[in-house]
Amino acid sequence: MNWKVLVIGAVLVVPLVWILASGFGHNPRAIPTTTIGSPAADFSLVSLDGEKVRLSELRGEPVVLNFWSTWCGPCVHEHPLLQAAATQRKDVVFLGVLYGDDADTARAYLARAGSAYPTLVDDSQRIVVDYGVAGVPETFFIDAEGVIAHKVSGGISQAQLMAGLELLK
Amino acid sequence: MIPTLGRALLFLGLGATAAGISAGVIAGWRRSPEAARWTRHLTLVSAGAFTAATLLMIYALLVHDFSVAYVADVGSTTTPAMISVVSLWSSLDGSMLFWAFVAAAYAGVFAWRTRFDDPARVGWAIAVQLVVLLFFALLVAGEATPFALVDPVPAEGPGPNPLLQNHILMAVHPPTLYLGYVGMAVPFGMAVAALATGKLDASWTSTMRAWSLFVWAFLTLGIVLGGWWSYEVLGWGGYWAWDPVENASLLPWLTFTAFLHSLIVAQRRGHLALTALVLVIASFLLTMLGTFMTRSGVFNSVHSFTQSPIGPVFLVFLATCLVGSVLLLAAKMDTLKIEIGPKPRHSGLISREAGFLLANLVLIAFTATVLLGTVYPLINQAITGEQVSVGGPYYEKMTLPLMAGLLGLMGLGPALPWGGASVPVLLKQLLPPALIGLIVGVIAFVMGLDRPWVLLFLATSAFAVVVSLRELWAPVGAALRSDKHPALEAPLALLRSPRRTGAHIAHLGVAVLAISIGFSTAFKQEVELSIALGESAEWNGYTIGYLGGERIDDPHRTSTRARLAVFEGRHDLGELKPALNKYPRMSQAIGTPAVISRLREDLYISAVRVAAERVSIRAFLQPLVSGVWLGGLLLVIGSLIAPLPGLRRRRKEAA
Repeated sequence: MNWKVLVIGAVLVVPLVWILASGFGHNPRAIPTTTIGSPAADFSLVSLDGEKVRLSELRGEPVVLNFWSTWCGPCVHEHPLLQAAATQRKDVVFLGVLYGDDADTARAYLARAGSAYPTLVDDSQRIVVDYGVAGVPETFFIDAEGVIAHKVSGGISQAQLMAGLELLK
Repeated sequence: MIPTLGRALLFLGLGATAAGISAGVIAGWRRSPEAARWTRHLTLVSAGAFTAATLLMIYALLVHDFSVAYVADVGSTTTPAMISVVSLWSSLDGSMLFWAFVAAAYAGVFAWRTRFDDPARVGWAIAVQLVVLLFFALLVAGEATPFALVDPVPAEGPGPNPLLQNHILMAVHPPTLYLGYVGMAVPFGMAVAALATGKLDASWTSTMRAWSLFVWAFLTLGIVLGGWWSYEVLGWGGYWAWDPVENASLLPWLTFTAFLHSLIVAQRRGHLALTALVLVIASFLLTMLGTFMTRSGVFNSVHSFTQSPIGPVFLVFLATCLVGSVLLLAAKMDTLKIEIGPKPRHSGLISREAGFLLANLVLIAFTATVLLGTVYPLINQAITGEQVSVGGPYYEKMTLPLMAGLLGLMGLGPALPWGGASVPVLLKQLLPPALIGLIVGVIAFVMGLDRPWVLLFLATSAFAVVVSLRELWAPVGAALRSDKHPALEAPLALLRSPRRTGAHIAHLGVAVLAISIGFSTAFKQEVELSIALGESAEWNGYTIGYLGGERIDDPHRTSTRARLAVFEGRHDLGELKPALNKYPRMSQAIGTPAVISRLREDLYISAVRVAAERVSIRAFLQPLVSGVWLGGLLLVIGSLIAPLPGLRRRRKEAA
C-alpha cells in the first residue's frame, strides 16, 4: 500500500465530496432577498462619463438600479429593454452599476449598444456588498422614499420591468 | 403494452449486467477463459436489451404513445418526427436511458473485439464498464423509469424543451458528446484491469490507445458541435461561455489529451506510463463529476435539469468511484509491471520527452484552473453561505497564459529530438516559424490589439500553425524530391506514418482554433439597430434594409421572422431572416439568429423585436469564426487518422 498516494487522494477527495454534498438543498437560482422593504443603502459614485451620482440626493424620485457587466449574456440581452424604458419613463431615474468588469470595455460596449442613462463604477465593489448582489444581472426598484420595493435576479423581461415600475407609482 | 415491454427489456439488461459483473470478476480473479466467455455473452445480452429498449422508446415517441411516462412528459402530437426522435435526450429520464444504451453498446463492442485477449484483464476491464452501466441501468429501471405506465392516458403532451427543438444540431451534438463522455469508461476499465492484474504490456497499451483516440475524437467533436449549436441558436453571437457544463466537458478533454501525450512517451521512451494510467483514471472521474454537475441541479447552468432526486444517489456513486480509484492506485501502483516497450532511457533537459512532460504539466494546470472556477461558487457557498458567480474574465485571465504556453510547446515539440537536442540546430529550425509568429503578433498590434497576453497567444498560435504545416509538408516534399514515385503519389507519403500525420493535423487544428478564437473574440463588433419598414441602416460597410415581418404558424410553434436585405457595398448578399419563436411551453420567445458566414468574417444578426412597421436587431461582426469549426474538424480528423495502421506495414502484411 502506497500511503503517500492514499493521503494525497484523501486530501483531494474528501473536501470535493463535502463541497458537492453541501450544494444540495440550495437552489442555485433562488437568491434570498432580505433587502426588500428596507431602505436602500446610500452611495456616492462616479459614472463612466465622469458624472457624480449620490442616491440620497435623488430622494423624491423613484430609481431603477441595474447591476450588469458586458460579459454576462442576460445583461446584454436585457440592455435594449432597459434603454427603451429609460427613454420613455422620464419620471424614473435609471442607473446602471458595472459589476466585475473593466470600465473601458463597458464604455466601448455602451458606445456601440447605446446608453440612455449613466452607468456607475465602484472599484471597491462596496455597493455590491451593500445590496447583496450575488450575480449579474440584478435589478433593484427603489421607490421615491428610498425604500427597495422590488428586486429581479437574472435577465429581466418586459413584463417584469413593467411590473416593477408599476410598484414604484 | 409498450410500458410493460420496455420495463421487461430494462430488467433483462439489468440482470445480464449484474451477472456479467460477477462473471467478469471471476474471470479476472481466476484467470478463467470459461468465465471470460460468460462475461462476453452476458455483456452482449445486456447491450442487446438496452439497444432494444432505446429503439422501443424512440418508437413510442414517434407514435406518440402517451401511456409511456416519458412520452407524456416530452412528447406532443404536433412535434415533427425528427424532433420526436431527438427528444429522447431532451429530458432527464430519456437521457439516462440513452446513456445506458451507449454504455452498453460500448461494452458489447469492446467485449467482442477483445475476445481473443487475455481472459483476466478482459474480465476486469468489462466488469468495470458494466459497474458504471449498472449504476445508470438502476436509475433507468428504478423509480423514475421513463417506461412508467401513465393511467389514464392523456390525449396530448407538452412537447420537448423548446431550446432543443430549435436546431438540427440538437440531433447531433448530444449523441457525439455522449459517445465521447460515456466511452471514457472503456480506457478507464482497461487502466483498472492493468492495475488489477499488475501488468501493463505493449499490446494492452496499443488497444487502449486505439479506443482512447476514438473516444477523444467524439469528445472533441461533441464539444465543437456544442459551441456551434450555441452560436447558431442562442443568439448572443458567441460559442463558448465558460458555463459549468461546458467546463464539465472541457475538463476530461484536457486530462485525456495529457493522457494521450503521456502514452506516446511511454511507448517511445518507457517513461510516464504510470502517469498515463493516473490521467486516464482522472479523466473518467472528471466525466462522472461532469455528469453530476448536469444531472444534480447543484450548479447553475443553461444545461442543468431542475432539482432532481437522483443528485444524492449520484454523489454516492461518484464518491465510490473516487475512493475506489484512490485505493486501487495506492494498493497496486508500486507493484505494477510495465512492459510497454523500451526500458526507460536517459533523457536530456532539452528533449522531446521533456517537452511532453511540460505540456502535460500545463494541461494539468489548465484543468485545475477550470475546475477551481467551476467549483468555486459551491466552495464559497459552503463556507460563507453567499452566492457568487465566476465569469468569463477569470477564465480568460487565467487560461490565456496557459494556452499561449501550450501553443508555444506545440511549435517547439516537433523540433526537439528524443533524448536530447543540440541548441544551435534547434535555433536554426525554430527561427523561421518564430519569425512568422512575431509578424502575426505585430499585425495584430497594428490592428489595435494591445493586451500583451492576447498578442502572445496569437503569435504562438501562428508559430504552431507554421510548424505543423512544415511537419506535414516534410514527408510529401521528400517524396517529391526522390524520383522513385510519380509526383501524384507524393501525398500518400503522409499515410506511411498515420500516427505522425494525425498528430500534426490535430496540432494544426488546435492552432487554427486558437487563432480563430483570438481574432473572433478580440475583434468582435456589436451593434443594436432599429430599422423602419422600407428603410435601411448602414454599419461597417454593410447595408441592412427591413423588408417586413412575416408570421409562420407551425403546429409546434409560432415564428415571427424579419426579412432583411443585406448588401456589402453594392454586392447583394441576399436576404437574412432572423426569427423569434414562441413555444407553448415557454413564456419567453427564443430567437433563431441568421448568419452570413464567410472565411473572412461572419455577419450574425439576431432579432430583438419584430413589428410590422419597425424591427430591432442585434448585429455582430466577427472575423474568422469559421476557423473555429475548421480547427475543430481538423482535430477530429487528426485523431481518426492517428490510430490507422501505416501504409507500408499494411502492404507488408498483404504480401
